[in-house]
Amino acid sequence: MTRERFISEVRACQGQLRRFLASLCGDAALADDIAQEALVRAYVSSGRFIGNFKAWLFRIAYNCFIDNLRRVPAPSASMDSPEVLHITDSASSDASFRHEELRRALGLIPEKERTAIVLHYFEDLPVKDIASIMQAPAGTVKYYLSVGRDHLKQHIRL
Amino acid sequence: MKDIEQFLRENAPETPDEGQFLIETNARLSAVEGIKQTVDGEHRRWRLALLVALVAGLVLGCLVTGLVLLYPVQPLQADEPFLAKAVQNLQQWLPVLVGFMVACAISLAVVLRTKKREAI
Repeated sequence: MTRERFISEVRACQGQLRRFLASLCGDAALADDIAQEALVRAYVSSGRFIGNFKAWLFRIAYNCFIDNLRRVPAPSASMDSPEVLHITDSASSDASFRHEELRRALGLIPEKERTAIVLHYFEDLPVKDIASIMQAPAGTVKYYLSVGRDHLKQHIRL
Repeated sequence: MKDIEQFLRENAPETPDEGQFLIETNARLSAVEGIKQTVDGEHRRWRLALLVALVAGLVLGCLVTGLVLLYPVQPLQADEPFLAKAVQNLQQWLPVLVGFMVACAISLAVVLRTKKREAI
């Protein structure tokens, strides 16, 4: 793959990639750093690329996110933490708050469920593609989606 | 079930705009390109050095074999003293030893030259 083609493919999906990572990390700056790292890794191995570019790039980005998670473990938040109580106590119909509420709620569910939820509902990817990105069977992804929805319901006032 | 699904779809975060991101990506890719070129050049030089060493080894091996065949080693006499036997032995094997040392020197020169180019 030439550099020009790589850049044009990246240009087409960089927004979704960064949104995906930002939803996983909850931090736009960190998400951009991980996205850059993923793009460099993708570029280095672009000679071996065959198939769906977006799914391939998302898989690399997801692996980078996991690597980052292992390097810097995220602070764990329990369901009884003040942050959670604050969310449920002050829920309002304000759109920006709902967005923030969702961001925090996503941060409280396990990483695999969060990934499946973000890819399915925000990026509109089918289960088959999510399974390829997460390198898990489709049935497992469906399970993550189901359990993830249940967990989110506990943190979000609808 | 539908409520949470609808909520998630309606509240998907907005896609961030390109801004500085693609400029930074391009800069990183240029850096990676430079590193890739350096590494490729290094690999090319090592392959060439390996080829030169192989050819030099083959040529010298043939020469040494030729010398050995031209000057066959005489069997030692059992009644000669130890030192005389050693000197005679050394003299007989001299072409082989010189050939071996020359081969080592050429290989070392090839490796050092490649290393020096890399350092530059």
